[in-house]
Amino acid sequence: MAPVELRLNGLCKRFRDVVAVHDASLVIRGGEVLALLGENGAGKSTLMRLAYGMVRPDAGHIEIDARRVRFDAPRDAVAAGIGMVFQQFSLIDTLSVRENLALAWPRAPWWLGRDARRPGALDAHLARLVPGVDPRARTGDLAVGVRQQIEIAKVLLREARCVILDEPTAVLTPAEAGALHARVRALARDGFAVVLITHKTADVRACADRVAVMRAGRVVGEAPAADAADARIVEWMVGVAPAPAAARPARAADTPVRLSVRGLCAGPVRDVALDVHAGEIVAVAGVSGSGQVALAEALTGLRPLDAGQVTLDGQALRAPGRPARPVAALAAIPADPRRTAIAPSRSLAVNLALKRLAVQPWRVRRAALEEQARAPIARFDVRPPDPRRPAGTLSGGNLQKLVIARELQGDPTAVVACYPTMGLDVVATAQVRDAMLTLAANGCAVLWFGEDLDDLLAHAHRIVVMFDGRLVADLDAHTATPQQVGVWMSGHAIAPDPLRQAA
Amino acid sequence: MTTVAALAATPLRAAFVRAAAAIGVFAALASLFFVSIGQPPATMFVEIARAAAGSGYAVGESLVRATPIMLCALATLVPARLGLVSVGADGQLYAGAIVGTGALLAWPLAPGPVLLSAVLVGGAIGGALWALGPALLRAFVPVHETISTLMLNWVAAMLVTWLVHGAWRNPASQGWPASIEFPDTARLPVLGDSRVHAGLALALVLAVVLHAVLTRTRSGLVLDVLRDNPRLQAVTGCAVAPRIVATMLVGGAFAGLAGIVETSVVQGRLQSDLANGAGLAGFLVAWLAGNRVPQTVALALLVGAVLAAGDGLQIATAVPSSATLVVQGLMFVALLAVGGASARWRGVGHGRG
Ligand SMILES: Nc1ncnc2c1ncn2[C@@H]1O[C@H](COP(=O)(O)OP(=O)(O)OP(=O)(O)O)[C@@H](O)[C@H]1O
Ligand SMILES: [Mg+2]
Repeated sequence: MAPVELRLNGLCKRFRDVVAVHDASLVIRGGEVLALLGENGAGKSTLMRLAYGMVRPDAGHIEIDARRVRFDAPRDAVAAGIGMVFQQFSLIDTLSVRENLALAWPRAPWWLGRDARRPGALDAHLARLVPGVDPRARTGDLAVGVRQQIEIAKVLLREARCVILDEPTAVLTPAEAGALHARVRALARDGFAVVLITHKTADVRACADRVAVMRAGRVVGEAPAADAADARIVEWMVGVAPAPAAARPARAADTPVRLSVRGLCAGPVRDVALDVHAGEIVAVAGVSGSGQVALAEALTGLRPLDAGQVTLDGQALRAPGRPARPVAALAAIPADPRRTAIAPSRSLAVNLALKRLAVQPWRVRRAALEEQARAPIARFDVRPPDPRRPAGTLSGGNLQKLVIARELQGDPTAVVACYPTMGLDVVATAQVRDAMLTLAANGCAVLWFGEDLDDLLAHAHRIVVMFDGRLVADLDAHTATPQQVGVWMSGHAIAPDPLRQAA
Repeated sequence: MTTVAALAATPLRAAFVRAAAAIGVFAALASLFFVSIGQPPATMFVEIARAAAGSGYAVGESLVRATPIMLCALATLVPARLGLVSVGADGQLYAGAIVGTGALLAWPLAPGPVLLSAVLVGGAIGGALWALGPALLRAFVPVHETISTLMLNWVAAMLVTWLVHGAWRNPASQGWPASIEFPDTARLPVLGDSRVHAGLALALVLAVVLHAVLTRTRSGLVLDVLRDNPRLQAVTGCAVAPRIVATMLVGGAFAGLAGIVETSVVQGRLQSDLANGAGLAGFLVAWLAGNRVPQTVALALLVGAVLAAGDGLQIATAVPSSATLVVQGLMFVALLAVGGASARWRGVGHGRG
């Protein structure tokens, strides 16, 4: 395979009044991993969607191997050897892995038979790229990290030479991210061009050859990854040196229990009991698929309870058969806000008022809603700060900020936050983290589901570990080590490793 | 294509662009057809225009034709504001006609205003009842409303046929299966000596009220939010199921009104085939108008005019009635084609990563 060279020349794209990409030029080369960095809303996703034919440029052009090309649709980009994996996966959950691949495979025979068994080439491809996964497994049942690998396998199946990954590590645990880094390096070794959009300097360190930084729609800098120290990258991205992380607030002893969970069963979650005290930050850790997202969903009202109950300051919050109601005192930050917490074609103002929707006056005054939206938008620096824009047009990070701004309005007495800093740039991450620490310092109970152990251990008071739907450990975060937590997360501490047993 | 997207930048303009495109496509298709049957297209279009709006009588016929289409379009639009796809306007229209006629048969001698209100309210209730089954099935089972409303259309049509051949048949009408005539007290007033009736005014008033409710009130906003993302029921505390039932019932009432108005004022009695395609036409109108009330009203008037013109054409020119059916069919093809194409254009560039 000849290494590809993809040149983006002076691309511009505006969405009505917003300039998303302005005169951006970038070279993407085969055999190289390019990390594309930049603050939230800088235009990274839009630039890559231009390269993938999902958005057509207003000006500028694209060249592949020095030939000018024009993409009217992703189909054209795919034909030219470009593949893209979005943050929202495109796999169909109810189909098997093999069927999902067959759907994307141009050479799939017209007749697949039940369970798409015929094309053995698919299984071979899958075994090579995602070893150990059962081609008959239902895609929706797999862990996020595995699904991500399958997405990449799907892109490669279409003979892509250039693979674009939009924030692939945002939802991955460090171990899963490690596997992804290895895969990305292997691709580059085989001559593929890889573009990795990311906010994590760990990704840059682990697998990038070159970094390019975007700000306000332009590519403002490029450098070999080896020359770009973490602090320098951050400064480049956001124009300021990174602030040191705030310390966790000291916790007064013997504060009352605020959020109390008893005997909670919901889907994969089995018999979870947990208390979070006033002023306490409790972190929930677990490898993906251990039930932590389901637990967060049950607490935030997105998943019905099968048994048990949850109380907040003694008041019933969730119980089986009880319809979920918004509670002003509870800030609920779900794992996938675009799907579960946002009305994408409604304005920012309406989205910020969703929790109060049922108690709006009979005659809705949009001007008042827009007025009320200004403060939360400013507080979390949601950009562009126009309360009338449809929320769905926000960049990934700004949408996350919008949900956080809504949930942290007023004075919540408890926070249930599932991956709250997902997709946020360094400045926003620090801001959201500080907001949660400040809330805790003021007596709020914080339950924080996170994927980065170091982060959790640095900021929480207590860390609980989930494995196979149960809480298996409850450790003091001041003294626990990542190794210790890791052992609990892998389940080794409670049962012999099933994989090893099978071997 | 960029220019089309730019033109269609606002909802109102988008609707105009779509209407203009639909008329263009219709003109092209109809021209081909006229040439193929040996008629000069130019003359035929002049005749169509004349038959649609060339005289007071023609305008009146267009408005009469547009009224049930408008009500059926609103009947589709209300559930669509929650993201439901109801194709049951025809069935609800028949059910409204049945219950409204039933009110007349039950109290034929009631005083005028009482009888008229009973007939109209009966029509609305009949339509709503016909929507209730699909609504409950969708809200609680869930059975998809498109299938159930579609199936029930045939049932309601058959029910009317069965009634007018049997229990409700007017013994005085020799052979012709129909109910007794609606007395003047049970009819909405008509305008002068035309056939334009107060049903049109009623539809317009209801449209204005509906528009205000959908765009200005909390209820309308809740529908917008839940249509956008039904999972927001947990965030907002607004349950989807009761709103499915409510929108389906309101929609059904609109179609039921169309049925009883058509039966009492226009046809004067209950008989088979009274829908005359209004349900389907209304569905297409609402869809093409992007489920927005003002555009829906305007487009319903336009479609009513073209359909009425088709009827007029038969009388004014030598084309056979089957040819006017083809012309009317071509109009629906044009509406569908433009609606589908604009849905595609709108889809471009909206994916978010
Ligand atoms: N379809 C759209 N309509 C309107 N504005 C859009 C659209 N897509 C993107 N934008 C705007 O373009 C800008 C760039 O967005 P983009 O998604 O490319 O940012 P990003 O660099 O990927 O940010 P993040 O790190 O938050 O994902 C943002 O201001 C966004 O609001
Ligand atoms: Mg992005």
